[in-house]
Amino acid sequence: MPSGDSVTDASQPAASSVRYEGATKRYPGAAEPAVDELTLEVPAGEICVLVGPSGCGKTTAMRMVNRTVEITSGDVLVGDRSVRDREPAQLRREIGYVIQQIGLFPHRTIAENIGAVPQLLGWKKERIRARCMELLELIGLDPELGDRYPAQLSGGQQQRVGVARALAADPLVMLMDEPFGAIDPINRERLQNEFLRLQREIRKTVLFVTHDIDEAIKLGDRIAVMREGGRVEQYATPAELLMAPATEFVEDFVGADRALKRLALMRVGDINLWEAPLAHVGQATAEVRAKLAAPDVEIPYPLLVDSERRPLGWLSERDLAAEVVPGQADSPLGPVLERDDVMRDALADLLQGESQYAPVVDHQGRIAGVLSIEIISEFLASPEAKSDEHPAVERPHD
Amino acid sequence: MSAPLPLASFTGAVEFIFNPQESNVTGGKKVGGLDKSLELLVKHLELTVLALAIALVIALPLGLYLGHKGKGEQFAIGLGNAGRAIPELAVIALVAVLIGVGLKNVAPVLAILGVPPILNNAFVGVRQVDRSTVDAARGMGMSELAIIRKVELPIAVPTVMGGIRSGAIAILATATIAPLAGVETLGDFILNRNVYGENGLLAGAILVALLALTIEGLLALLQRRLTSDGLKLKTV
Amino acid sequence: MTSPPLLIAAGEVGGDFFRERDVGDLCQAQRDHVFCWDWARENIDRFGTPTVQHLQIVIPAILIGFVVAFALALLSHRTRWLQPPLLAATGVLYTIPSIAFFFLLLPLTGLGRDTAIIVLAAYTLQIIYRNTILGLNNVPASVKDAARGMGFTSRQILWKVELPLAIPEIVAGLRVAVVSTIAIATLAVLISAGGLGTEMYGSNLTFPTSIIMAGAIVMLMALAFDAILLLVQRLTTPWRRVSQA
Repeated sequence: MPSGDSVTDASQPAASSVRYEGATKRYPGAAEPAVDELTLEVPAGEICVLVGPSGCGKTTAMRMVNRTVEITSGDVLVGDRSVRDREPAQLRREIGYVIQQIGLFPHRTIAENIGAVPQLLGWKKERIRARCMELLELIGLDPELGDRYPAQLSGGQQQRVGVARALAADPLVMLMDEPFGAIDPINRERLQNEFLRLQREIRKTVLFVTHDIDEAIKLGDRIAVMREGGRVEQYATPAELLMAPATEFVEDFVGADRALKRLALMRVGDINLWEAPLAHVGQATAEVRAKLAAPDVEIPYPLLVDSERRPLGWLSERDLAAEVVPGQADSPLGPVLERDDVMRDALADLLQGESQYAPVVDHQGRIAGVLSIEIISEFLASPEAKSDEHPAVERPHD
Repeated sequence: MSAPLPLASFTGAVEFIFNPQESNVTGGKKVGGLDKSLELLVKHLELTVLALAIALVIALPLGLYLGHKGKGEQFAIGLGNAGRAIPELAVIALVAVLIGVGLKNVAPVLAILGVPPILNNAFVGVRQVDRSTVDAARGMGMSELAIIRKVELPIAVPTVMGGIRSGAIAILATATIAPLAGVETLGDFILNRNVYGENGLLAGAILVALLALTIEGLLALLQRRLTSDGLKLKTV
Repeated sequence: MTSPPLLIAAGEVGGDFFRERDVGDLCQAQRDHVFCWDWARENIDRFGTPTVQHLQIVIPAILIGFVVAFALALLSHRTRWLQPPLLAATGVLYTIPSIAFFFLLLPLTGLGRDTAIIVLAAYTLQIIYRNTILGLNNVPASVKDAARGMGFTSRQILWKVELPLAIPEIVAGLRVAVVSTIAIATLAVLISAGGLGTEMYGSNLTFPTSIIMAGAIVMLMALAFDAILLLVQRLTTPWRRVSQA
């Protein structure tokens, strides 16, 4: 993970605010404006999600920030400076841009793709190389992939490169237009988790467009629910949106399962997990049995882990009949959850996996605790969960 | 390289087409004129059409079949490439020397020049039809022949017609030097300068050019008629 | 086999390049045979000058044709409405048989190499123009969108993104143009421009060995150029060689 010796200029602010002031976009010949007098402020370092039905103008509004759509009237300011101040090409080099179809240059290697904007800005070769390596590590890709071509990568990998490319020149603002839309659901969840982890590190101002309210709730610090004409029905934190929808439109858009959606506001790592007695391969089974017999044990089954404390399976009575713990457990692991997983997804996984317990791992795969449906329901019933003060609201300050 | 004023030449050439002129060689006897022009034009067309017909009969079914089957790609493409490299002059000259002169000998050989583009394009045109469309048709129970006729061919029309147009023009162009092998065509005016004069030369060139453009135009029209409306949306 | 009167008359066209050809005793007797190896062996040098002349026509023609067609393609890539008329115009130049075109230009540019070069260059315009436009149009919209959004100027997008990706199509058109030009250049003999056609014409009209040899050289030349261009394309597009993930 990047530390103080980052390749980028530390004296510059890492992120700027974005402010729409009565921004309007009117296409010639159209009866109604695509975006009608949008006024919105996104504080620096926050993820603002623009969400709404197709055609509501959210993408158009996002594109006004880097002038890939020209503003008809009103203004958009990035860090107190109007976007009209500069040449569009110059402006865009300071703004990260990620689109749904990714658009990597097929004729350039991954490293060259990532280094595209730095090259436009005239960085020295060495600096570009170093930055590429830094970013590849940041997005969790093997640095060797830097010399491959996009066609050789999977969709998920390509999209990550797309994000890295947008971050390369350390932009003030990131624009993301349904970046995970074309990815399969499993990888999408992973990418979302990783994006959040990334954001915790680098704290960019992000304008994120999606039509998926669940994604908005999961990722956004603030959400703007829009309807036709780019009109903002409500601009609020996810918690406020779920607990106090401003209009009927917002209520409908959020969906009837609002209560369940609240589970999306929490992460698995937020609550106290149970501990399972751990058993290492080759350990004497007597020791394990002693652990199981302890009075405060929460889970009556031992979890088999490897030397890195990565879970391998659940041990059964039969496993414990031997002298030493075997290398393979009788019962499979079932669903494995990550600390960053949203609670709603975790519950779904548990229910689908038909297992009572699911091991929870950190982002290196090491055991961090065990989740069960009982824990979830206990927590939901607790006074802590019922209060309006949600841990999620404080998410930027994790 | 002293040349008379271009305009004067062209007027002279047009004159030649319509009115018989005095000539140096035949001394006294007139050359050129509308009758002669038309006669040669018809002969030129005759040779072209005959050769094209032969080429079509050979290349079209073969190309469509190979494309449908997906076999012989190297052959079809290779033939297309090689065909383009054949020098027409050599072909005509060799016909004259080795085989014989006259329409019966020249037409089949001229057809050889038309085969590569027709076969190549027929193959590629059919090959480029979306496999899933063909699968759907097969799944619906169409016979192989029906698939070629009703699915692949209609979609491949633009490409196939493009090949036919190329072949036609190649044959027509080579027909211009067919007089070297004893077949009278418009090339006569061009190749026998001493008989027909400067005006005749130019007249021949003009007539060949016009004929080529007309044939191309007609074939283009035919292509438009044959192309279904759904396909017409593409331009280049 | 008697030569019809027309052949003799044809041999008199452009009398300035008519040459005596010494067939030699060996082949006199073999006049009726298709290929006379002895003559071929002994006379291989005489093909040197025509080959050079041939290249002197073909190479300038290709270069001029490419530069003009490429420029037109770049122009009409920005200004879309130019495409149909340019396509039609280059199409007309392509349709007019080169031989007719040679003689149409005679009053303007006279006999000789220049006329040949102009005509052959004009002939290549359509295929190069059309393929360049096609190649540029086939660049995925998402790639252009990403480039624009990242801060590439229009000119940068053209030269750094669109054109590199269009190389395969452009080279494909160039290959066709080169092969065709090499073949058609044999007709340049009819307007006193030299080239390998001289070995197929005039007194050579009745001597198969010469015709076949010249024809073989033409085809080999075409093949060589084609292969070189294909190699160039492969070298400049390394990304197309890799397989999918």
